[in-house]
Amino acid sequence: MRLVVYLLPRVLAALVTLFGVSVLVFLSLRLLPGGYADILLGPFVTAEARAIIAQRYGLDQPLVLQYLRWVWAMLGGDFGISMVTQRPVIDELLRRAPVTLQLALIALGVALAVGYPLGVLSGTRAAKTRKGRDFGRVIGAMGASVPDFVLGSVLIFVFSVWSLWFRVGGYVPFSTDPVGNLRTMLLPGFTLSVFGVALILRTTRDAVLRVMTEGHITAAVARGDPPRVIIRRHILRNAAIPVVTVVATYFGFLLGGAVIVEVLFSVPGVGLYIFNGLLNRDYAIVQAGVLLAAVVFISINMLADVLYALIDPRVGATR
Amino acid sequence: MSGFSKAAGRLLRADALTLFGLITLVTLLFLGIFGPWLPLGDPSRIAAGPRLGAPSAQFLFGTDELGRDFMPRVVQGIRSTFLLSAIAVTITAVIGSLLGMAAGYLGRFADQAIARGADILFAFPALVAGLLVAAVMGPGQGSAITVISIATLPLFIRVVRSVTLGIAGRGFVTAAEVAGASTLRIMLVHLLPNVMGAVMVQLTYALSIGMIIESALSFLGLGVQPPDASLGSLLRQGSSYLTIAPWMVLSSGAVLSLAIMSVNLVGDAVRDALEPLKGRPLT
Repeated sequence: MRLVVYLLPRVLAALVTLFGVSVLVFLSLRLLPGGYADILLGPFVTAEARAIIAQRYGLDQPLVLQYLRWVWAMLGGDFGISMVTQRPVIDELLRRAPVTLQLALIALGVALAVGYPLGVLSGTRAAKTRKGRDFGRVIGAMGASVPDFVLGSVLIFVFSVWSLWFRVGGYVPFSTDPVGNLRTMLLPGFTLSVFGVALILRTTRDAVLRVMTEGHITAAVARGDPPRVIIRRHILRNAAIPVVTVVATYFGFLLGGAVIVEVLFSVPGVGLYIFNGLLNRDYAIVQAGVLLAAVVFISINMLADVLYALIDPRVGATR
Repeated sequence: MSGFSKAAGRLLRADALTLFGLITLVTLLFLGIFGPWLPLGDPSRIAAGPRLGAPSAQFLFGTDELGRDFMPRVVQGIRSTFLLSAIAVTITAVIGSLLGMAAGYLGRFADQAIARGADILFAFPALVAGLLVAAVMGPGQGSAITVISIATLPLFIRVVRSVTLGIAGRGFVTAAEVAGASTLRIMLVHLLPNVMGAVMVQLTYALSIGMIIESALSFLGLGVQPPDASLGSLLRQGSSYLTIAPWMVLSSGAVLSLAIMSVNLVGDAVRDALEPLKGRPLT
């Protein structure tokens, strides 16, 4: 009951958000310079051809009706046809989704494994260390400041000169060749993770600092509990709550838009597909891709809200 | 006012890292603003040196594929990266503050509508939104500014809204209402000074996000177009010659990272000064 009361307005809000996102994406394609017929048929187009296209795609009908038809088609799994390949966009997107998912999981794994412990360490030591010597701030500032495409370019340069074990491009699925897959996926995954390390480190550090000002920590210190016990029993769980939110946002961002790293490392994921769609003026791809990215993002954040309520018994308890 | 002077005091007692950020930021801003009038060389003069020449005493950052001196081009890039992001973020901060105050103060329907609007914008990953905007508006500075605004507007709305919620019920606001002040007056005269601190903190974060987005878009070829240069478009240019002339990518990448880092460090210091978090030792 507590969960339902807490989650119901959130689900409703997410649905409203989803509706708004779909309207924006729909309108943006209708606003394209030149209109859909010109894009399909090129500049030398007769009025009849334009009319035929308009009729076939329902462009002569009221916008509201067009929108409803569009949503209805998507609910039936029809996200449009790629103009270049003449294949359903959704098939191509789903085929590429596992690649992006793997990339996101590598990045998230590294970011959590490095960022969370360092954040706890930096937070619990922050009160003792002098400000300028706090390694958490240094790593946090550096990681959040080097853009992924700068880091990626430098890595590509380094590994093109000393071709150690890694490879740029030449993706193979994990199921056919696990080692070859990792050779191509670890570098982009690591590149993506650096921002996440900084993000999680900083969030964890702030959360730990905030928890440490609370009364039960003072009580534990007064009882003479050793620091290790205080950290494990009293700090870790409390500090995890804001981290869950940030991790969800980060993961949603990774799944939806690792565009630049995928382009840089030629990883055939969703981001590269949408980007190529844009370059080819294949707008059905852009439309479907952007919409799905937003849907994934909203869903992940919904999941985070559920997780949040499960971790923190206070959530929704007082009303 | 004492809160502010205390905050300023804390800011002045900055540590080495903050000082480093501050000095870097001031230097880069100076180069960016006065670059065109400094004797650095002509960024657009073709064949000023050898093609793809390595860094030397004459050409600190080497030369590009047209033999242009790369250093003044980087300075030009600093200018447009800072300028574009600053313009976008400032516009966004004004709009976001007004919307956030309206949501927090008016409540009810306005609050719901504005909060949902922020959620909708927030649901688009910045670069994916960038692809859509580039499709609609065409690549260029206009779409870069739009994408930065889309990405940072929710940050301002959310923070200003939550701060406003905390002060909307306070005595001085009620007093102003009873005295018959208009809604606009209450927002601008009574609420705005109280949300300014939070806006300043967000402004620095938004600026660094804006610089990342601008350079990322330009790197993809969707932002600043040649012959103009931003740090991102210089990286794009350099990445074609990464293996034979790495100094282009390395110099513009290093300057871009330094620029973003200096904004972040100064932002951290501003935040620590305005809302200090004190930890306690565990022994």
